[in-house]
Parts: sequence; C-alpha cells; structure tokens
Amino acid sequence: MTTSAILQAINGTSFAALLFLLASGFTLSFGLMRVVNMAHGAYYLLGGYVGLAIVQVTGSFSAAILAGGAAIALLGFFVDRALIRRTGENHLAQVLLTVGIAFVIGDVALWIWGGDNLKVPVPMFLRGAVELPGGIVYPAFRLMLIGLGLVVALVLWLLYHKTQIGAVVRAGVDDREMVAANGIHVDRLFIVVSALASFLAGTAGVVGGAFLTLYPGAEWEILVFALVVVIVGGLGSLEGAMIGALIVGLLDAYGRWLLPEFSYFVLFGPMAILMLFRPTGLFGKAH
Amino acid sequence: MTTPAIELVDVGKRYGGLQAVESVTLAVAPGERRVLIGPNGAGKTTLFHCVTGTVRASSGRIRLFGTDVTRLDEASRTRLGMGRTFQISNVFMDLTVVENVLLALLGKDRRKWTTYRTLRTYAQMHEQALDRLAVVGLQARANETVRLLSYGERRQLELALALATAPRVLFLDEPCAGLSPSERQLLSQLIAGLPRDITLLMIEHDMDVALALADRVTVLHRGKVILEGSPDEVQADPEVREVYFGHV
Amino acid sequence: MERKHLIAWSVVAVAIAALLPLVAGPFWVALLTQMFIFGLLALSVDLLLGHAGLFSLCHAAFFSVAAYTTAILQVRYGVSTALAAPAGIVAGTLLGLVFGLSVRTRGVYFILITIALGYIVWGVAYRWSSFTGGDNGVTNVPRPTIAGFELESMTSYYYFMLAVIVLSLLAYRVLVASPFGLTLRGIKTSETRMTSVGFRPNRHLYAAFVLSAAIASFAGVLYVYYNRFVNPVSASFPISVEAVLMAIVGGSGTIVGPLLGSGIVLALRNWVSSFFELHAAVMGLVFIAVVLWAPNGLVGLLASLRANRRAAR
Repeated sequence: MTTSAILQAINGTSFAALLFLLASGFTLSFGLMRVVNMAHGAYYLLGGYVGLAIVQVTGSFSAAILAGGAAIALLGFFVDRALIRRTGENHLAQVLLTVGIAFVIGDVALWIWGGDNLKVPVPMFLRGAVELPGGIVYPAFRLMLIGLGLVVALVLWLLYHKTQIGAVVRAGVDDREMVAANGIHVDRLFIVVSALASFLAGTAGVVGGAFLTLYPGAEWEILVFALVVVIVGGLGSLEGAMIGALIVGLLDAYGRWLLPEFSYFVLFGPMAILMLFRPTGLFGKAH
Repeated sequence: MTTPAIELVDVGKRYGGLQAVESVTLAVAPGERRVLIGPNGAGKTTLFHCVTGTVRASSGRIRLFGTDVTRLDEASRTRLGMGRTFQISNVFMDLTVVENVLLALLGKDRRKWTTYRTLRTYAQMHEQALDRLAVVGLQARANETVRLLSYGERRQLELALALATAPRVLFLDEPCAGLSPSERQLLSQLIAGLPRDITLLMIEHDMDVALALADRVTVLHRGKVILEGSPDEVQADPEVREVYFGHV
Repeated sequence: MERKHLIAWSVVAVAIAALLPLVAGPFWVALLTQMFIFGLLALSVDLLLGHAGLFSLCHAAFFSVAAYTTAILQVRYGVSTALAAPAGIVAGTLLGLVFGLSVRTRGVYFILITIALGYIVWGVAYRWSSFTGGDNGVTNVPRPTIAGFELESMTSYYYFMLAVIVLSLLAYRVLVASPFGLTLRGIKTSETRMTSVGFRPNRHLYAAFVLSAAIASFAGVLYVYYNRFVNPVSASFPISVEAVLMAIVGGSGTIVGPLLGSGIVLALRNWVSSFFELHAAVMGLVFIAVVLWAPNGLVGLLASLRANRRAAR
C-alpha cells in the first residue's frame, strides 16, 4: 500500500513539473502584461508536434525540446505583436481572441498530424526504469521530468529574485506605470517575458508528448490543469505557480488512484473551496 | 447634549508602513455644516473612506447618530442614512440621467428585486426621480446618456444621486473640484440651499467656498487633527496659516 | 427604434418564421430549430455578459446537466416528460446555485474559475461512465407529447420551439427592462456607485447567475428532446465559448442579438463545413475577426450604420 502511495507521489510530482513549465509562463504573462492567453495549451500541443517532427528527422530529443520551444517562442511573438496587443487590457477580448487562435492552431494541427495519439520518442537512456531506494522501480523519464522541473524552477527563481532583469520584472508586476515612468523599456521587457513563456510552453509540449502523448483536445485538457494551478497559486506569482503545480499534480495523482470516476472532484473541489475564502489564490494579489 | 450626527473616536488608518490617518476624534452635531480642510496628502479622503465604509478603519470607532458603524459595510451605512459623492465624478456613465436617479432610489427599496414588471410602469418612481433632478436643475436632460453631459452637469447629477437616497448625513468629497467658476457657484448655491435636516461633512480645497458654507472647520495635517473651530478662528490661526496657506 | 416599428418588425419576423416549413426544405427547419435552442443558451449567457458584466464560460455545464438529467430519467427510469423536463431544469439550476458562488470574484479570476468549473462537469460526464454512459452518452430520448400534441416530426418540434422562443423573448424583454435588469446594468457600470446608494452587488449578481443557469438549463432540456441524444460534448468548453460568441456576434446587451448571433454562427458553421474540413479553424478566425473589428456585433453594426446615415442627412 505504501509503495503505491509513494509511486503516486512521484507521479504527481512529475506531472507537477510539467504543469509548472506551462503555468509559470502563463502566470508571469498575466502578472506583467495583464494578458490572459488561452492559447497556451495550443502552444503546448503545437510545440509537442514540432518536437515530434524534429525527432523523426534528426533523432535527437534535445534538439526536439529546443526546436519545440523556439518554434512556439517565434509564433508567440507574432501572435502577441499582431493580435493580442490590439486588445489592450480587455480581458474579455483577450480570452475570445486567444481561444480563437487556439481553435485555429488546434485545427491546423489536426489537419497536419491527424487525430491519433502520437508519442514523442524518448532517447534510449531515458527509457526503462530506475531503481530507487526502498526497492521502488520508476520510469526514468518521469524522474528526469522532475529534475527538469526543479532546474527550470530554480533558474526562473534565480532570474526573478537575483538578477537586475528579474527585479525590473518584479517591479513591473507590482506597478507597471512606475516602471515605465522610470524610463525602462517596458516593451522590450514584455517581449522577453512573453518569449520565455511561449518557449516554456513549447518545450512542455515536447516533454509532455513523451509520456502523455499528443492528440486533439490535449491542448484544452492541459490548459485547464494549468489554469487551476494559477487560480490556486495566484495570478502573477512564481512561487504560487510552483506550489500550485505541486498541489494540483499530487491531487490529480491521488484522485485518479483512489476515486478514478471522481478524480475531477478531488481536484476541483479544494480549488472551489479555496476560491470562496481567498479568491485571489494563495499568493496572488488583489488588483 | 444631543447625540452627534457623526462621531469619530480615535480613528486611524494604516497602509502597511504608512499611517495615513491617526487618532482623529471629532463630533458633528445634527444639522451642522462641517468642512474638512488640509493640504494635499493630509489624509482627508482616506478619513472619508473610513467613515463611509469604503475602507475599513485600522483603529477607533465611528458612529452615525449614536449607532456604531465601524464594522458595517457601505450598503449598511447607506441604509442608516448616509449619502456621499466622490472626489472624481462617479456616476453611471452609460445609463441615462433619469436611470441614474432611479437606481439611487432603488438602492434601499425592495423593488430592486422585481423581475416581472418593466421600470417604465412605475410612474410614481419616475415622478420622484424627475423631482430630484429638478432640485439640481437637470430635469430637462432626463433622457440623455450621462456620457453626453458636461463635467459640471455630472457633478450636479452626483449630488442628485446622493440626495435621492434620502440621507440624514451627507458626505461631499470636493464637490466643486474641476469645475469652472460659474459651475462652482451653482453647485455651492445648491449645497448651501440644502435643508438643515441633513447634516453635512464636506472636504473642500477651495477656501472661499469652504469658509462661506461652514459652521465649523476641522483642519487636518499629516493625518492628524491640528485645529477645530469656527471659520474665523481657523482663518486667523497662525499654525493653520503656515501649514495650509503656506502651501497654496 | 420606435415602439410601433419594433412591434411591426417582430410580427413580420414571426410570420416569416411560421411560414418557413411550407416554403423551405428540412435543412432550414432543422437549422432554425437549432438556432432557437442555442439562441436561448446564448441569451442565458448574455444576461450575465451584456447586463451584469460577468463573462461566464461554464454555461454548457447547466445546459448539459439539464439535458442529461432529463434524458436519464426518461430513458433509464421511464419517467414521464411532465416530471423529467422540470427535473432537468431544477438539476441545472441547483448546479447554478453552487457555481454561482463564483460571483464573489471579479474580472479575470471569475473567467478562469468558470472555465475550471465548466470542466468539472465535462470531466464527470466523461469519466463517470457508469452513470452518464461516458463517451456514448444517453440515446433514444423520446420526443415529448405536450398538451396532446405529439412532437415527433421535425416540423412539429419547430413550431413548438418557435412558440417557446417568442414567449421567452417577451419574458426576457420584461426582465431586462425591470428594476432588477437596471440594477444589473448599474453594477456593470459602476459597482462603487451602487454600494454607495445602498446596494449589495454580490446578491444581485448571484441571483442573476442562478437565473441565467435556469435559462441555460431550459435550453438544455429543449435540446435533448430535439436531439434525442446527449453526450459529453454538450458540456464541453467550445460550447460555452460559442454561446458567448453568439451573444457578441449578434449584439451583446440587446434582446434579439443573442438569437441572431446564434443563427449566424450556426449557419456559418454549416456552410463552411460543407466545403472545408477545418471548420473549427474558421470559427476561430471568426472569433478573432469579431474581437478585432466588430465587438458590438451585428446589432451594434446596424445601429451605427443607421446613426451614420442619420448624421449624413
């Protein structure tokens, strides 16, 4: 029994790592630019498909991760400049616009890659299982994912809290007008943060595509989880994205294991209760 | 000693490290016209927000006609007879002038929950609304969208909204701010003409308007009350002259 | 528009609609029936969006819970329409009572929470297959018999829906013109002003939310009798989004806007999917186009055209 419990904990944590990749970009985009980008899930899916294509051509998983991220960073840049910009801070318009973009991306992806579940092939050394202390055997890939999540979390945290750029971003999240008034190029900042968010979404797709597979509809399923992460963690907070991802990942794993038909309740129930008492999430700020 | 209409006992408001308002104690008698003056940043609007309930006071007690309202929300205080205007014009821009007043009339009325009758069928309420508009001279613009009104007319409307709630105590936050001299005169005449069964607490920056309307003046500086007295007393006081006039 | 012109146009529209089955083929009858059903769903969304200023993306949840409840009661437990239909509406409304607690949040938080709440229902419909039939849904829902009229044929159901939508629009007209309706618009325009004149906005928003859930549930029951089948797709996010799109395309905040928008969106989807496979992408492009170029929808466009013409005179 305890072995299963520990297995589920690792499952939940590896899923949390994936969710963090997606949610961190989403929450920072909102915190700094007040942009709600519902196409983030579609970015994930498309990034995954691009990564898949790269692996099929080059055989290199790391190339796939980079390519997936870069492709989406580029796409995100154009979408931002040409479309999202025009909505200002009108969240209603942003949601509708980015949902529309997601529909377009999703359908085009369906047309190119079809409706079957596709799996991004994983390099040899990450296939198979690793033996952990206590005699637990666990897939190597998912352990790698946890590692990746930790590394990205650490890097983001350092960037955010220990660098000049991070300080500016934090100030911008707090008070955008003040930052602009201080002569800092808010525009360039937006581009950087937005590109980073899109990049992370793309790489998440490649990594996610290796164990969750890619299929039409996956973009919405993963987005919902990411949304719960930012709702629980609080929009605009990096720490919130970390803790939120962990909570959501673990609740999802245990929920599926203990009450498979009601796993959604296990996940959303606590979220709903949290909303009643703290509408802005654990670390969010009231705007 | 009659119960004061408005009573503040040791009211304070803290924002993180900043003490915006500190130990303010004052009492306004029923029917009195009290004006709150002080330089920018003195905490006048913050104090107002504490009294109206927009913001929760950090310390102290607030009473309206003897009833402790410190823990009550704004809607409850309005039901107890509070009315207010905002420093920056806050009216329903996309609705018509008469719809604005109708909402003010519906605020404390049970009929705001009615779903099965159109508003047009409430002839009596419409008449009441038009009467309220007549008091501020806007009845001719009743069916126009507020967005089309001039800023001065919106300030008049704002006063009409505050009065429509049949307040016993009226809080006016710089009612004449942003108005031309003729508009200012019109509005201060309206305020001066208000019946004495309404108690008035007003923030005003314009010294002439303030001193002309006030029975008593309270001077705020850096969140604290530094003087309270008749308009003449306040005008003559050297500390006030330094703090206030020195900044003009 | 002047009152008597409005009444004249409405009578003409209803007359045309009544004559439709006699002149047009079954395709049009089906399309218009769907337009009425989804128009009602769009109306429920617009009560919140256009009047209260709340952007809800979970209304497919009420729609489908009502549909499922009615379907399961009729098909699996043999309950009569007289009980199953109201039960469906009640079920959806009860869900509205729970989800309505989300009105304590505002702005983007409200949007995100409704998205998540909508997904719960979809997820349950999908995963609780022992009860909902999972992917396969519930089939063989019989057409109801109302006041002796059997609504078996497409045409009979069409006339039934026409009557329903006309009555619904009349009731909706009174609702939005009532004190309650004005209160909602006041909240949408300036919540701070509303509190300062004695309102408690959250209470009205909650009531409006529950009411709109009831309307969406009503649409759901009408849907399941029309379609004779319900599956998890009816609870999906795209349905909620489309309902919002319909309201906006037709003209949010108006009475016939959501209905017109429903017609436009359904007709467009039908037309596009007949020659182009990527119809979801086309819908996506429509969203983008509407947001960027026609945020006031069809009714808004017509109104501004008329205003321009009047100004030019």
